[in-house]
Amino acid sequence: MKLFVAGLSHKTAPVHLREKFAIAEASLPKALQDLQKLGASEAMVLSTCNRVEMSLSVPDTAPAGEIFDEFLRSWQGSSSAFEGHLYRLESREAIHHLFRVAASLDSMVVGEPQILGQLKAAYAVAKSEGTVGGLLETVVTRAFNVAKRVRTETGIGQMAVSVSYAAVELARRIFGSLKGQTVLIIGSGKMGELAAKHLHRSGASKILVTNRTHERAVEMAALFSGRAVEYTTFTSMLHEVDIVIASSGAPHYILNRDNLQRAISARRNRPMFLIDIAVPRNIDPAVNDIEGVFLYDVDDLEGVVNANIQERSKQAQAAEGIVLRELDQTLTRLKLEEVTPTIVSLQGQLEEIRAAEVAKTLRRMHGLTAEQEHQIEALTKSIINKIAHGPISELRRNAGQPDGDQAVELIRKVFHLQA
Amino acid sequence: MGDSGILWLRVAAGLYSFGLLDAIITVLRRREAIFRVAIVAFALGAVFQLVSLVEMGLAQGRLPVNDIFETMAFLAWIVTVVFLAIHYRYKAASLSVFIFPLVFVMTLVGALRNPVSPWSNSVVRSTSLAVHVVASLMGYAALLFTAAASVVYLMQERQLKRKNIPAVFRVLPPLGVLDDLISKSLGLGFLFVTIGLVIGSIWAFVETGTRWIGNGSVAISFVTWAVYLALVFFRVSAGWRGRKTAILSIIALVCCLVTWIAHSQLQRRLLQ
Repeated sequence: MKLFVAGLSHKTAPVHLREKFAIAEASLPKALQDLQKLGASEAMVLSTCNRVEMSLSVPDTAPAGEIFDEFLRSWQGSSSAFEGHLYRLESREAIHHLFRVAASLDSMVVGEPQILGQLKAAYAVAKSEGTVGGLLETVVTRAFNVAKRVRTETGIGQMAVSVSYAAVELARRIFGSLKGQTVLIIGSGKMGELAAKHLHRSGASKILVTNRTHERAVEMAALFSGRAVEYTTFTSMLHEVDIVIASSGAPHYILNRDNLQRAISARRNRPMFLIDIAVPRNIDPAVNDIEGVFLYDVDDLEGVVNANIQERSKQAQAAEGIVLRELDQTLTRLKLEEVTPTIVSLQGQLEEIRAAEVAKTLRRMHGLTAEQEHQIEALTKSIINKIAHGPISELRRNAGQPDGDQAVELIRKVFHLQA
Repeated sequence: MGDSGILWLRVAAGLYSFGLLDAIITVLRRREAIFRVAIVAFALGAVFQLVSLVEMGLAQGRLPVNDIFETMAFLAWIVTVVFLAIHYRYKAASLSVFIFPLVFVMTLVGALRNPVSPWSNSVVRSTSLAVHVVASLMGYAALLFTAAASVVYLMQERQLKRKNIPAVFRVLPPLGVLDDLISKSLGLGFLFVTIGLVIGSIWAFVETGTRWIGNGSVAISFVTWAVYLALVFFRVSAGWRGRKTAILSIIALVCCLVTWIAHSQLQRRLLQ
């Protein structure tokens, strides 16, 4: 039995090809059944916006590539449009690929967590259709563990790699939990709205909105079931606010050192987090000098994002190491599993011969005591165990070795073991 | 000196203890809980202390400020009256976190003047000594946490200001969590140190009469307690965070260390 993976991803194909190849969720069961009809022992289909790929397990002698091509022809009419954009991986490479995909090392944004969920969903469909249950299942469930190990040991997914998530991450660094924090949105910039959405989703429950055009403020407040605040008076309630998001189109500073100094005194030095994503900036940079005030503008947030991306690529290297070690372990285990039937049949064969010969002999010898019969049993068992020891350890040693198959084959021949 | 004078003083100290309780609850819960009760008890305490002062003055025929006990009690009374006046005029409740414990401890010291009969029960003696030591050490341990959390807070705050957060800082708790830890450990620590101080003073008083007050190590304990009190006060009333809390908590920690070293010699000297 061998593993085969083929498909295309954001790395090999542009989006118009990926969407053409994509298989809708409703069609997945039929695709899986078709693959099995074409000769695959097991099948799993992963279809996301960034990758469409099929994982199959096929008997060693079966032409996996042809099964895939046939599937492509029957589902897409022709495979020519995809040529040059497809990858086809077998055995070791296929397992390596599945591990990397699960660990989000092959993702567009390395370390993003969605892919593992998508892979689990693909596995669940295959499981419910009964198209997994052997080698492929072993490898895929192993891939889930590898992904988990990578996530916990490298923390690769922990750092924000977008500006609005970076804002949430910083807010958490300052306040701990965002639960019950009050957010004030000044202006109606798209970026500001997005950051507010993330903060709101992370637990900041009270959202205030202010805008030069009050109707806009009311509109946006409704999005977060928040409250609109008069633009002319919002500075007087600044001390009630923990997080400020400024994204108005004002051509000058609308919050200065004096405003913040007063707010922070009224808050008895409880920290404030100011996010200025307006260009030109809305908040005087000098406010960052006030103790307890943390001001981040667009460049600062992008700096955080860039640092995070660098850190992620460093961790990705560590993750690749983990994946390779897991791959070796898995291959060794699979090879051992492969020789297990040979070992079992060897032991069965020898035991069968022994039992028959012992029975024959005992029939001829009369007057043996139970103790003597027991001695004969023990003696013969000991002999076959000694004989079997050599070939069994040779089988185990050869599992996973480059020329191991030949040695296994030779042992099968020598002992007349059935295939 | 009139015996009833010292009795009224002790009653006053008992009433002032409500103030101490209020201060500790305020620090721990971050809100005023029994302030109304405490301020009434405080005013009553001032009246009893005035009675005590008058009685002692009449008995001695002069102002009762002859030794450190009497002057301290007298000073406590002045502070009380001034505080009540300020509170009446400005409603400065936040000052009470500082004033309540201070007045209580000063009055307590003043009330521990007349020697009483020595320990009737050796179990009570050794138990109270053990409670004193354990409470003080727990207070010092809490201060250690406060100082450590303050330093981490400071480093983290600095990184956030510089907008450059090294990966190692990701494992540290967020500022909000550290702040909570500082508040809690400070409040509990103050509670323990105060218990340790009060029991220690009473123990030394019963043990040695008036001799204890002149001891250097005892004075150091009071200074340490006062630094702790200042730390708590600035934290609760002014919301001190970051650098100021870090520095003050480290000073308090050094004071604790000195106190501890001084005490390793104390018992021998006191009991000579």
